[in-house]
Amino acid sequence: MEAVLSNLKEWLRDRKEHLDLFDETKTARQDNPLYIVGGLVWLSWMIVIVSGVILMLWYIPTTTAAYRSIEHITLDIPFGWLVRGMHKYGADMLITCITLRIYRMYFAGEYKKPGELSWMILFASLVLAMISGITGYLLIWNQRAFWAAKVVLTVPTYYDEIPVLGNLGLGRAIAFIFLGGPAVGQAAITRFYAIHFGISAVFAILAEIFFYRTRRRRLNLSPLAIGLVLGFLAFVSFDRLTEMGRWANPNRTPLPILSDWYFLALYQLVKYMPPLWAGIAPALLIGYGMLVPFMDRTRETRPLERPFFFVVGLLALFYFIVFTALIMLNIAVISRDPPIILGVTFVVLALAFVWEIAHRRRKAQRAAQPAPRAVPARPAPAPRPAQAG
Amino acid sequence: MTFDRRRLLQALTAIPVVGGVIAILSPLFRYLKPNDKPWQIFTVAPDAPAGGAQIVGTTRSLAKPWDYFYFTYVQKFVQYDPTGFKASNIPGVAIRLPRKVRFANSQGFVGYRGETDIVLFQRICPHLGCIFNYEPDWHNVTAGYGGFTPPAFERHALMACPCHFSIYDPEYPADPGNVISGPAPRGARYFEFHIDGENIVVTGAELGGIARIEPADAAPPARGGEHTRAPS
Ligand code: FES
Repeated sequence: MEAVLSNLKEWLRDRKEHLDLFDETKTARQDNPLYIVGGLVWLSWMIVIVSGVILMLWYIPTTTAAYRSIEHITLDIPFGWLVRGMHKYGADMLITCITLRIYRMYFAGEYKKPGELSWMILFASLVLAMISGITGYLLIWNQRAFWAAKVVLTVPTYYDEIPVLGNLGLGRAIAFIFLGGPAVGQAAITRFYAIHFGISAVFAILAEIFFYRTRRRRLNLSPLAIGLVLGFLAFVSFDRLTEMGRWANPNRTPLPILSDWYFLALYQLVKYMPPLWAGIAPALLIGYGMLVPFMDRTRETRPLERPFFFVVGLLALFYFIVFTALIMLNIAVISRDPPIILGVTFVVLALAFVWEIAHRRRKAQRAAQPAPRAVPARPAPAPRPAQAG
Repeated sequence: MTFDRRRLLQALTAIPVVGGVIAILSPLFRYLKPNDKPWQIFTVAPDAPAGGAQIVGTTRSLAKPWDYFYFTYVQKFVQYDPTGFKASNIPGVAIRLPRKVRFANSQGFVGYRGETDIVLFQRICPHLGCIFNYEPDWHNVTAGYGGFTPPAFERHALMACPCHFSIYDPEYPADPGNVISGPAPRGARYFEFHIDGENIVVTGAELGGIARIEPADAAPPARGGEHTRAPS
């Protein structure tokens, strides 16, 4: 027991030393654009925090005034449109950069030792960013936000229907605690507002402690790059004025109704599954993301050297794109699609598994034969090729 | 011996500690979850809201088969805060079916005693709580809700949810309002009602589902005039 604990401590100490939250240790590789996304994550996060605090000066968190106060900010207050645009598009950029960084770390095998902890924090930050997204857009009190909040918080009530456990009342309690009542109403706005701000506040403090302890630079981007990002966001805010949508109408769900873009794939998935599964599947996805460093135990970082996990990543990317496309086209034949999806997933995963086994066997054989000196099968511990990113 | 005595003392000191923790947790829990009773930490029983009898419409507006109207039924939820309760609306739809049915569902809820050709459903989707629509023409269901084509015997008015495309058949044999496509785990919930002369009187609503609606929040915006009202 003691030994396990001290091992764990040792593990934690080591991973903490190698912690890299915003690619601040990878500055040497910035010739590859995929290695500036870490810096962009920090930059866009700060843009969101600063613009968010400015928005708080004018925003009114009530069901009757929220919509108009945001309209007021966007249309009347000098540069209100800019602040709101920076907040909204900055948040979009934040989620985009976190996602890109996740895919990069996944395909380049950067979640492997000693990057496990960095990966887990990054993955958790995506979840937190999505929670911030959903709590944030309820604050507008428009149709999209209202129904998203209602749907998302009805999902936990199905936890009370898990067969063996029976009704523990837990799911309902979760929903009730987030909504502050039996409906999406004033209490929900207040609570969502608190959560929305609280997440960023707490984690900004933690990030500051991290930088203070490690004495690393927060932002490893050239002033030019920073200027470009700011200019781009400002231009987008100007060119595409952030939408208002329609005032939330609890008596009418619009048809069709979409969520924010990063929820679209999940939204389509919810159409295909029984609702209890819709509550469990995201938990499984998060679980997979958090635990993949411990499941993929080889030393290999190159994608083709670890076929199974490579294919899983590709499949996730593929489904993200396909589901998003399907929902935008308003296609979902619920009696037809799920068997196809399950079939494809199963076959692809099985093939990936076979590929993995075959690959390992080939490698073992190669290792067993004394390779002729002149032609090494593969330049053994080669420095990672640039295209691995 | 000393060991046992120590154990006993530990147990004795634990009692006030546990009591203190409960005393602290109880108001904290109500702080988070205002429908908990004082001293109650956790409950499994769902809130039983009170609605009472409300006249929602008349049979005159349901003259022909598949005529319908939308209505709202108001319920009160207990809340242990200074106001004591919270009002919430349940949107509903009343439909005239072409034939008489027993208005009872497979969950065992009886909406009407005896046979009836008028049926009243809650429009809160039993899937994840959106408000579903009554579509008088099933072609609209195929066109607007993901491409579902009903089998031949169900090509009549249907109810369909915009969120994840659950489709309900108000005339489903032996279980009116049952789900015929989509992810909903059960059919549409019922109202309990009787007919008093011309008046349709709702006396109760099937329990379940959360996240109903607060009447005060449905205020229309001033600018732009984009706000659309429910058709009916
Ligand atoms: S909420 Fe109606 S189908 Fe999901």
